[in-house]
Amino acid sequence: MSPSESLAPRTRESLQTIQDFLGTLVARYRSDEVLTAVRQFPAREAKFRPMPAWVTSALAEAYRRKAIEQLYSHQASTAELVRDGKNVVVVTPTASGKTLCYNLPVLNAVMENPDTRALYLFPTKALAQDQLAELQDLSKRLDDGFGVFTYDGDTPSDARKAIRERGHIVLSNPDMLHTGILPHHTKWMRLFENLRYIVLDELHTYRGVFGSHLANILRRLKRVAKFYGSDPQFICCSATIANPGELASQLIEKEVEVVEDNGAPAGEKLFVFYNPPMVNRNLGIRRSYINEATRVAKEILARKLQTIVFANSRLHTEILLTYLKQANPPKPGQPEPIRGYRGGYLPGERREIERGLRDGRILGVVATNALELGIDVGSLDACVMAGYPGTIASTWQRAGRAGRRTGSSCAVFVASSAPLDQFIVQHPDYFFERLTEHAYIQPDNLEILVNHLKCAAFELPISPDETFGNVDLPALCEQLGEAGFLHQSGGDWHWIDEAYPADTISLRSVTSDNFVIIDTTGEDRGKPEVIGEVDFSSALTTVHPNAIYIHQGHQYHVEHLDFDKRKAYVKPVNVDYYTDAIRYTQVRVLEVAEEQAFAGPAARAHGDVLVRSQVVGFKKIKFFTNENVGSGKLELPENEMHTTSFWLTLGHSLLADLPFGLSERQSGIFGLLYALGSMATLLMMCDRRDLGTAVGERPPSAASEINWEDFAVSANPPEAEAFFEPNLYIYDAYPGGIGISEPLYRVCDGLLSRTLELISACPCENGCPSCVGPTADRSERTKEVALEILGRLCRDAKFDSTRTAETA
Amino acid sequence: MSERYVSLERLHRLKALRRSSAADASAPGLHGSWLNDAGDLLFRPKTIPYDPARLSEALGATPKTNQYGEYLSVRCWCAQPPRYSPDLRPLRLLLPEAPDEIADPEHWLFLDTETTGLAGGSGTHAFLVGVAWWEDGGLEIEQFFLREQSEERALLFALRERIAERPILVTFNGKSFDWPLLETRYRMSRKISMPSPRAHLDFLHPARNLWRLRLGSVRLSELERHVLGWDRGADLLSGLIPQIYFDYLRGGPPERLVPVLNHNQMDLRGLAALSSRTLSLLSDAENLGLDGLELFGVSRICEKRGEDTRARKLYEKSISSILPTETDRAARRSLARLAKREGDYDLACELWKNALGNTRHGYEAYEQLAIYYEHKARNPEQAQQVVRQALDELRGAIQVGDITPGAHREFKARFDRRMERLERKSRRPLLDALAIEAQA
Repeated sequence: MSPSESLAPRTRESLQTIQDFLGTLVARYRSDEVLTAVRQFPAREAKFRPMPAWVTSALAEAYRRKAIEQLYSHQASTAELVRDGKNVVVVTPTASGKTLCYNLPVLNAVMENPDTRALYLFPTKALAQDQLAELQDLSKRLDDGFGVFTYDGDTPSDARKAIRERGHIVLSNPDMLHTGILPHHTKWMRLFENLRYIVLDELHTYRGVFGSHLANILRRLKRVAKFYGSDPQFICCSATIANPGELASQLIEKEVEVVEDNGAPAGEKLFVFYNPPMVNRNLGIRRSYINEATRVAKEILARKLQTIVFANSRLHTEILLTYLKQANPPKPGQPEPIRGYRGGYLPGERREIERGLRDGRILGVVATNALELGIDVGSLDACVMAGYPGTIASTWQRAGRAGRRTGSSCAVFVASSAPLDQFIVQHPDYFFERLTEHAYIQPDNLEILVNHLKCAAFELPISPDETFGNVDLPALCEQLGEAGFLHQSGGDWHWIDEAYPADTISLRSVTSDNFVIIDTTGEDRGKPEVIGEVDFSSALTTVHPNAIYIHQGHQYHVEHLDFDKRKAYVKPVNVDYYTDAIRYTQVRVLEVAEEQAFAGPAARAHGDVLVRSQVVGFKKIKFFTNENVGSGKLELPENEMHTTSFWLTLGHSLLADLPFGLSERQSGIFGLLYALGSMATLLMMCDRRDLGTAVGERPPSAASEINWEDFAVSANPPEAEAFFEPNLYIYDAYPGGIGISEPLYRVCDGLLSRTLELISACPCENGCPSCVGPTADRSERTKEVALEILGRLCRDAKFDSTRTAETA
Repeated sequence: MSERYVSLERLHRLKALRRSSAADASAPGLHGSWLNDAGDLLFRPKTIPYDPARLSEALGATPKTNQYGEYLSVRCWCAQPPRYSPDLRPLRLLLPEAPDEIADPEHWLFLDTETTGLAGGSGTHAFLVGVAWWEDGGLEIEQFFLREQSEERALLFALRERIAERPILVTFNGKSFDWPLLETRYRMSRKISMPSPRAHLDFLHPARNLWRLRLGSVRLSELERHVLGWDRGADLLSGLIPQIYFDYLRGGPPERLVPVLNHNQMDLRGLAALSSRTLSLLSDAENLGLDGLELFGVSRICEKRGEDTRARKLYEKSISSILPTETDRAARRSLARLAKREGDYDLACELWKNALGNTRHGYEAYEQLAIYYEHKARNPEQAQQVVRQALDELRGAIQVGDITPGAHREFKARFDRRMERLERKSRRPLLDALAIEAQA
């Protein structure tokens, strides 16, 4: 990939060391209950092809001086297809030289015609910076250098004009394209008139909401390009997913050629599945996976192998970091050997960590998915994943962070007790022999589409014979006209509003506001210090009043949260617990799209819902023992969103004759939903965060609405008993929905039968975190009740299409 | 969820269709809006038929035609302000590179636009473009009004013709607002090539130099009131203008546009009068300057353009009239700088000595004085004494908290460094002497 890789220290003995380490593990746990899989992937030879004859001699020479004289097969195929005018998506694992796939044809076109322009889009600013260095290096090796610039929020305003005029290649991100470039396209005339290539790197990250936004931004981009008479070609790079071609063609709405034969060499690799040993078989309790991941990482680090440890949340990153730092204190006068890396760190800090990893000064890094993408940190010896990353694709992507071209590497997945983790760790074949996930996007999500349609109208008037997505454009424009945003004149729809529509739409979360975290310790000396930031959606759960916020392994107590000003004031503390927020969610059905009765009596349905959620309190959890040592109440603002949901209604008669008490039944229903949610993630192959779950009462009539919370606490309200018909919601965790609810409705029987399999195959006695959820606050019969309900639901597993019910 | 046709109920629930800025509708002073508090339209556009004759009558306008279609033009002539013939000299102070043609008032075209917003970008329209030129001793005004966005090309073409006739563009804040916005419109038209004015005089920048210190703000209406002594009478708040135009587009009565056109006319007349006033001040501030602040402003412009002698005279004159403390200090500082540049150290030293004190300027004066003693007067002892005095001043200030820690640190470091060097310098001759002795 990059020449810097060769700088990293590397030992021929790494294979021996890794075998040695594995031996230790095997010796400790003889049973295959702990090491459920140890797979060896042999080294792979490189497949070379010569540099194409059409590459200009200057460019070929520049690459030769970078020691690249021939191409890997996938690089050559991609370059040829681009040369033939095709849109291409190339699927490449980490470190297989993907940047050459697009740089070679683009640069060659620039050499042939210096008017050629290209726009590269990366999901993050950091990745663009990484590419900038690589391209500038190439440019310096050429006599006729080309202009390459990053254009993002950090670009100084006096440099922007030069970039618009002189940049052959502009490196940016979807957010900047959305708010900075497209609304000001007249300033970018040179770029748009000559725009020949658009490069979308890390294509697989454009899934769900972000992908749906990007598809609409690309619709806008293509409109603007067309206005200036250009029709750019797309070159996309993706990590391994099941449907790269489908995703790419959904995003760019053009035909796409897929290049999948990876010609890059790879060293030998071991992939290990590690299930923490049981400590209480009856309760299904395993050792803490965080502690176990720490032990594994310690073993590897002790052998001086450069290691990356991935955790799934910021909190766990910080906990792991704390443990590993304790175990690996810096030598006197030496820098800290173990570092943390996640989104909230400031950019300078992150660049320093990346450098430290490349040149080997840093031995270990604990990261969130921020390091999953192609940031160049060189290649490491080992990767430890604390918890399942959520999808098969990102598991491979993270595992790919460890992997030398020569020598061996290993990846260890340490399973948590979450149902998905347990399913994967106990069914290694499911993981190793299966295709990776599909990436779903819903470019015609109305909420998203309409927002981008407004931006499109701001950019250029909308003509009635245009198409924008798969919607009735005239009807939508008519609506926007009535709402006062558009005005029809001369047939075209024009933007008539003072507001700048792009400013109000954030691509990544519901709102674009970040909360800054301020350490007030230095306040008396007039120097309060900003130590980091969190995005809006995680702010309420991580920096609520009295939360313990952990940054670089240090604990801070949140003294005050200024919600309006988006600031959290913290003070360093040293306590033996962390905090976990409690969220309360309520769902109301707005419109039923489809509903069908089935066994039970029960019904499945999907449609539009209103989800209200609020962080109502928090728990204090002790380090190492995970004991609950206290709690607190919170009064924080409520969040509201319209989205789509799938739900099951459990009919009154289905529950009425269950041989269990009311609170046992309630416990069972929560447990059932817990398991259903996990299996839905698996079936939909989506990220756990894409789905929300909630239980709600379905009132027999609007007049007798029951508050589920009151209902759940009161021992035996007689009237409630009569009306008890809960809805189990699994909703799309994004306003407007991202297209998961309807497919979930279609596979409802599969969902039920798989959930039944999961719960009945679980070795625990009364339910555990791996099936129906933790039992601590639940009835002992949770598992039994959930199984009984599922049994009744599955008794008539095949849905009878003639029994479609009307909306109640 | 892949429905091809969107159900209406679904659309109505969309947040994106609702006006998010409820403040827009409920903002005070927006009673004229055709939106109610909930942001709904009080009537539908289609209920009022569009009546071009009523519009033309209300605005006193004439529809005109060119090769791109019809556009609306409103013309009028005003005796006030009277025509003014500028000298080339003050114009060169504003635009040193401009061609001689700039002094020909027959080539001037005043320009001011009313737009659908301040955000800029391709979705902001200039719906009213006012231009004006000297005629019959007064000002002839022509306003192009955009009845419909579809008439924009005809409007842009007409404007292009006016600019071709009179290629010296005169604006107030046109360099950063009106002109870039019009450039965007021409690019968006894809048909009409961009007009190319020979020069662009923007009177915002000289106005800042001349009057911001006195008035705080340099909005055109403020300048008219306080500099020209005009009273606009009833004028609308410019923030309401976009909404009035949107209301018109949605079918509101065209009469409501009249104040907008008047506002634009007043802006053009104000601009013309202000340009005359500015240029006459620049050419003869010595006699026309109303107060020390204006004189100070002119001297700053002269200094920037390298007219040192004139600048110095004007600074002296402005100081001798009464200036506010801060400005007085700035004037003396500039004067000292000019005096130093011309080698008039007597004057410079006197100004510096008077400026010493616990302020940024004061410390800079200490520094300048020390530099003078060290390098010009070749008197390192005296230089040391000045630096010592400055360090005393700093110590006193930090003790009573009269200086921020950052500024203290900065100045202390500067004076410490200077002191160290001076001490080294003063030791050197002694060492040299010793060395010679040792050799002997």
